[in-house]
Amino acid sequence: MTTPTVTPQFVKPKALNCPNCGAPVELRGFAHTLNVVCPNCHSILDASTPEFTILQTFQRKERIEPQIPLGTRGKFNGQPYQVIGFQVREVDSEGSSYSWDEYLLFNPYYGFRYLTEYEGHWNFVRVLSALPVELNTMGKPAVEFQGRRYRHFDSLSARTNYILGEFPWQVRVGDVVQDRDFVSPPYMLSAEATPGEITWSLGEYTSGKQIWAAFQLPGSPPAYYGVFPNQPSPYEGKPAAFWSAWLWLNVALLAIALFFTMSSADREVFQNTYLFTQGAKTEAAFVTPDFELTGRPSNVEISIRTDLNNNWAYFNFALINEDTGQDFDFGREVSYYRDSDGAEGKPNDSVIVPRVPSGRYYLRVEPEMEPRILQSMSYSLTIRRDVPSNAFFWIAGVLLLIPPVFITFRASAFESARWRESDYAPAVKSGSGGGGDDD
Amino acid sequence: MLLGASTYAHYSGWSLTRINEQKVAPKTVRDNPGSYRSMYWGYSRYIGGK
Repeated sequence: MTTPTVTPQFVKPKALNCPNCGAPVELRGFAHTLNVVCPNCHSILDASTPEFTILQTFQRKERIEPQIPLGTRGKFNGQPYQVIGFQVREVDSEGSSYSWDEYLLFNPYYGFRYLTEYEGHWNFVRVLSALPVELNTMGKPAVEFQGRRYRHFDSLSARTNYILGEFPWQVRVGDVVQDRDFVSPPYMLSAEATPGEITWSLGEYTSGKQIWAAFQLPGSPPAYYGVFPNQPSPYEGKPAAFWSAWLWLNVALLAIALFFTMSSADREVFQNTYLFTQGAKTEAAFVTPDFELTGRPSNVEISIRTDLNNNWAYFNFALINEDTGQDFDFGREVSYYRDSDGAEGKPNDSVIVPRVPSGRYYLRVEPEMEPRILQSMSYSLTIRRDVPSNAFFWIAGVLLLIPPVFITFRASAFESARWRESDYAPAVKSGSGGGGDDD
Repeated sequence: MLLGASTYAHYSGWSLTRINEQKVAPKTVRDNPGSYRSMYWGYSRYIGGK
């Protein structure tokens, strides 16, 4: 009779001692943890074996403190998670290194999530179980996932530089993955490829304030810098809304201008033709007969039509109220020259006198011409009351352009800042200065 | 607001024309127009031409 041998199943302890330095090491990921980092000596230990073999010893002297301490608990979308791992990863681009932080979150019921942080920009990330569909739109890679299209942003090699805590995968300082990022703000799809495996993850842009609130961290989050690839634009949808409003305001403006054009009295109150001879011994100045201006205070147009040809004339006018003596004083120059090269000036002109109250008026006219020459000019004067004038509507139309043009420029500048860090950044002229922050 | 301002400006008969408004013209203007000197008298004489 043989006695059956029973191999006792290894049950991971919740705490162990580092075989390198003897410091206690806490496990929060239970059976999921494959590697754990000693918080004292930073040796990477194999948590899947009972003896906790040392996989890698810590070489760096610099120690990095995560902004969210390991073991901190927080809630995202009502689900509690605990920070159990932290790593710093780095990419090299055009001779410069850029590093970002990644936090591993764990909930025994919901599994693992990740938080990434780069210069104050945060993303809440989950690994995908379904694969996005890879596309090629207009020669550029893209992917589609759950009906949303993501544009390729960049492809880089990411290297793990620093690790703390525990991980459900084999992790070493110096690990390198090929990373491709696709963006559709506020989401980002990332494909991390290692030999024989590609992992897709979906990140959602999250503000530092939300992170601080979720983990109830003291103080306030560091301010973000620059524009992150999947950062939602504060101008999203605004240019279209502003241009739509501009269109409707212009329709309203046009309707108002048409209404005033059609409802203006535009009534002729005086018209006469005169002959002026420069150098004649008679007095050049004269006054017209009285004419009646009725209605609300509105404009008065004085039109001058002359037979000038290669000559000029100047008219001194005074529109005077017969009863009150109120005087609108103004002058008008008319000149018309032409030769084989073309013409300059016009023999006719007009002037609009603003806000003339109703009453009986007459016009004082004093024409002048080149004084050294004996010459004459025939001209007619026409006075009209309440003529349509759309000058203010034209000005309003131009001013209405300012908000949509401004917001379109700002939105475009934001998108330019976003894509400046991508594989599709516009070429920068050599010698040009660097841009500023655009937050 | 811009629409309202432009509508009011138009309705009130405003203009962009530069006009000098003297409050009271002398009574003698009608009888002796030549004695009146406008604000623009001798101000802008054209001396150019092609």
